[in-house]
Amino acid sequence: MGLRNLCLGAALVVAVSLVSPHWTAWAADALPQVQLNADSIAPRQIEELTGRNITRDYAYAWQTLAVALDQNRPHLLEGFFTGFAKEKFARAIADQKKNGLHVRYVDHGHKVNAFFYSPNGDAIQLRDNAQLEIQVFDGTKMIRQEQVGLHYLVIMTPAADRWVVRSLEAVPNF
Amino acid sequence: MKRALSALLLMIVGVLAAAGAHAAELQVPKQVTAGNAFSIPTTGSGSATFYLVGPSHSAKRQVKLGSGIEVAEDEIRTSGRYIATLCSSDGCESADFFVAATNPAHLSLLVHPSRVRVATNNAMSAVAFVFDKFHNLVLQPVPVEFHITVKDTPAFSKSLNSSNGVAWLHLNSARKEGPAQVVASIQSDSEKRVVQQVASDACNLRIRAVRKGKFIAVETEPVRDCSGNSVPDGTVVTFTKVDASGKTTVDAPVKRGIAKVDMPAQGEATISVASGVAMGNEVRIGGTP
Repeated sequence: MGLRNLCLGAALVVAVSLVSPHWTAWAADALPQVQLNADSIAPRQIEELTGRNITRDYAYAWQTLAVALDQNRPHLLEGFFTGFAKEKFARAIADQKKNGLHVRYVDHGHKVNAFFYSPNGDAIQLRDNAQLEIQVFDGTKMIRQEQVGLHYLVIMTPAADRWVVRSLEAVPNF
Repeated sequence: MKRALSALLLMIVGVLAAAGAHAAELQVPKQVTAGNAFSIPTTGSGSATFYLVGPSHSAKRQVKLGSGIEVAEDEIRTSGRYIATLCSSDGCESADFFVAATNPAHLSLLVHPSRVRVATNNAMSAVAFVFDKFHNLVLQPVPVEFHITVKDTPAFSKSLNSSNGVAWLHLNSARKEGPAQVVASIQSDSEKRVVQQVASDACNLRIRAVRKGKFIAVETEPVRDCSGNSVPDGTVVTFTKVDASGKTTVDAPVKRGIAKVDMPAQGEATISVASGVAMGNEVRIGGTP
């Protein structure tokens, strides 16, 4: 009976992973902390629910990006990236794979300021002050490790059931 | 004394040898423009491995110390932060730099909604994103020209500087129905969207009624909005008749600009008309002649 339950449980986990290829990746890492401030947003105020969804989906975006870059799994970008952002990160991962490299982001949180929300709610721009530890690996050898505070300029747009990152660019300052 | 001098000499030779094999600190520019190749000078001798990790590109290659490391145009097309690392037998040296977008080359234009009622303030919005030829968002202010044309109406233009890659504006819809063409342009590109402006709610509804035996034939005059545009076919008009038998309501769609209905009536009847929030006139019809 116990073995049967164990098998059923294992089958369920496999089934869930097959249905949602991102699930196993998400489960492996905690969701990064994202604090959203929309006090100075214009020209449109952000609805409370939208603010919560953007916070959640931006955190998921960073989580999936970190796993995708660490494990060289470009398909993980499908969930929370779109357009040029997805294409660019996918190219980076393809290059990493080719050269035997991978990059690990240890995420220490994001303080995000939403400053532009388009009149019809179809695009939002964010300024993100991210605290990250970045480790660059050649195979298993770490060639670079740094603790950095980085500034990111972000564009997110709504998709069917979530907000997705359309542009994520590190800038020297805001 | 001789021994001490020899030891010192050996130490100096050792230090110099170590310095020769060591990869000197990487000197990279703080910021470069996307697609502009540059060279990273190195000192020392021997070979080393050079790594470049950026937002859309990762590279690894062997280089000779003492000569420049060429970073090619296609390695730095994406704006963002890059990490350059040079590893020799003595360890690794790293430096980071930023790549900024080059000149504006493309526009992406969002215009909403696709259909809008006439004569409405701030009914439409146009949001333009400015990109360079590598699809990097151009963060420097760029003048974006918005040009709106509607048939039989003077064109409207406005120039706005983009901020953080975005320029946007609100637009009023015209009083006359028809397509509004919204064009956003920068020096090297322009994008066009069309918004269909449709009639607003019915306004000044007028009916006439004629008795035809046991029925009263009721018909509207051409149904138009307050700006004189014909409301679209299918707009529902509600006719209400009150007579000796009570109150009867009939909904009829507008067909070819008018709505009509035949209503049974006993004796005198009063008929009124409405569509949406607009009320029309009331007609009183006498009993059977």
